[in-house]
Amino acid sequence: MAAATNAAAAAAAAPAPAPATPVPRGQVDLVDFIDWSGVECLNQDPAHSIVNALKQGYRDDEGLYLASDSDEQLLIHIPFMQVVKLHSALFKGPEEDGPKTIKLFCNKEHMGFSNVNDYPPSDSLDLSSNHLSESKPMQLKYVKFQNVRSLTIFIEDNQSGSDVSKILKIALYGTTVDTTNMKDLKKIEEH
Amino acid sequence: MVLEATMICIDNSEWMRNGDYSPSRFQAQADAVNLICGAKTQSNPENTVGVMTMAGKGVRVLVTPTSDLGKILACMHGLEVGAEANLAAAIQVAQLALKHRQNKRQQQRIIAFIGSPVKYDKKVLETIGKKLKKNNVALDIVDFGETDDDKPEKLEALISAVNSSDSSHIVHVPPGENALSDVLISTPIFTGEEGGSGFAASAAAAAATGAAGFEFDVDPNVDPELALALRLSMEEERARQEAIAKKAAEESSGAENKDHASSSNADSVMAEAEPASNAADDKKDQPKEDDDAQLLQQALAMSMEEGSSGAAAADAAMAEAAVDDQDLALALQMSVQDAGGSSQSDMSKVFEDRSFVTSILNSLPGVDPNDPSVKDLLASLHGQGEQEKKEDKSDKPEDEKK
Repeated sequence: MAAATNAAAAAAAAPAPAPATPVPRGQVDLVDFIDWSGVECLNQDPAHSIVNALKQGYRDDEGLYLASDSDEQLLIHIPFMQVVKLHSALFKGPEEDGPKTIKLFCNKEHMGFSNVNDYPPSDSLDLSSNHLSESKPMQLKYVKFQNVRSLTIFIEDNQSGSDVSKILKIALYGTTVDTTNMKDLKKIEEH
Repeated sequence: MVLEATMICIDNSEWMRNGDYSPSRFQAQADAVNLICGAKTQSNPENTVGVMTMAGKGVRVLVTPTSDLGKILACMHGLEVGAEANLAAAIQVAQLALKHRQNKRQQQRIIAFIGSPVKYDKKVLETIGKKLKKNNVALDIVDFGETDDDKPEKLEALISAVNSSDSSHIVHVPPGENALSDVLISTPIFTGEEGGSGFAASAAAAAATGAAGFEFDVDPNVDPELALALRLSMEEERARQEAIAKKAAEESSGAENKDHASSSNADSVMAEAEPASNAADDKKDQPKEDDDAQLLQQALAMSMEEGSSGAAAADAAMAEAAVDDQDLALALQMSVQDAGGSSQSDMSKVFEDRSFVTSILNSLPGVDPNDPSVKDLLASLHGQGEQEKKEDKSDKPEDEKK
């Protein structure tokens, strides 16, 4: 009896495993639909690249992160292999250097820091330090993200106003639009 | 191999008319641009290169980034030289051209040739540098031509602002006899950051320029290991040829006292000395070449004078060994003699058969088998055969006794 009590106490004392990020109902993680050959991140530190925050496996490792280089801003371009509907997005980072103001642009090619303010964003997020630590996806203006071929994420500033912004994880949730994936096209031999 | 999109900014300002770089600054720059374009496109088939001018009527993109080397080289012809170079505007336009590249996986790079004075303030250049760094654009600068007090300092400041993990470089090329392209070959601008692409680039350079001025046509700065290996092999070859020449000289001096075996040695030495003399031609060592030729002629004359039967029969490799080992030489000589004897005995066996010989003689036109001289010859041959048989019989009991 005493042994059982000790075991229960030990179990209570042990830190609980980090809960898996809850995927919004009816949505899927769109990481499998990202066209990696076209993913680009401007102002990233070469030692801490976008892969650390976006790729499966890497983004769940606490030691790996995406960091900015010359100042706090980052511009991430993510193309998809097929048209998707974007429902919500998750941004995880340290409380001090994590991102604060995030602007999302739909289907905007060739964006740079010089012309990022020339276009109105499809959605804008203002994150608090709680949002960064909670690991809870933030819902987007669903109407604006119905026909997404590529997503551009502009991180304008960070929580502390320091020169380096750090992001541990970026996850995008939504559904795919039933269209033909041109990469899967194969020639059918006629008999 | 680095996958890159590169924009090359050409300085076509009035300052490029000067002749302190042969044949002129502008022509030297054009050669260097051609060389860099070739190296970039050869190092990776997906690399693209674009060209633009910084002066003239204004900053002008001649070719947007493309992998077609023909387009790049064609755009270089008929460029006008005039006005002043606008470095800041050129870099910004180049960045814009790179931003609209087709393949997003390509890293962006700008190579700027600056042969005129830089009129911009240091702070302005640093701002441009930071902007480039922020957009992940690497910058390489070739500083040549005008050497103001401030110019190198300003350009160094620009590079330090752009530089991220040593991806940007600057090269100062003073005027002199060396062509601009020759100087650039051994710099990081040309060879790239990786060894692999650097080697491909150096190969392209060697093809373009013939790698003139370097021993064995290999630049020791680009590939020191290859240069060392070539030098060592050359020295070994030299030593080998000297040894062969010595051997030939020794044999020619003592050749008159030697028998057939030594003549076969001379033949084998001659066979080895022929490629040696060919190699000597390459070295352009005239006196040594004459000596070798004389030695060769002596060896040839000796081999012609002495009987060729023994010399031809002996193997060249065996003959070489015989020089070192006297017993082996003796054995060789005996085997040659045995071979000669056995062939003679075979012939005598054939002539022993009288009926066979007479039938052959009958078949020959104009030969009378009953002629006394023919009969005498046959009798003598028959007698020789019988004598040999007797000798064999007398030899056998002696062997048995032993």
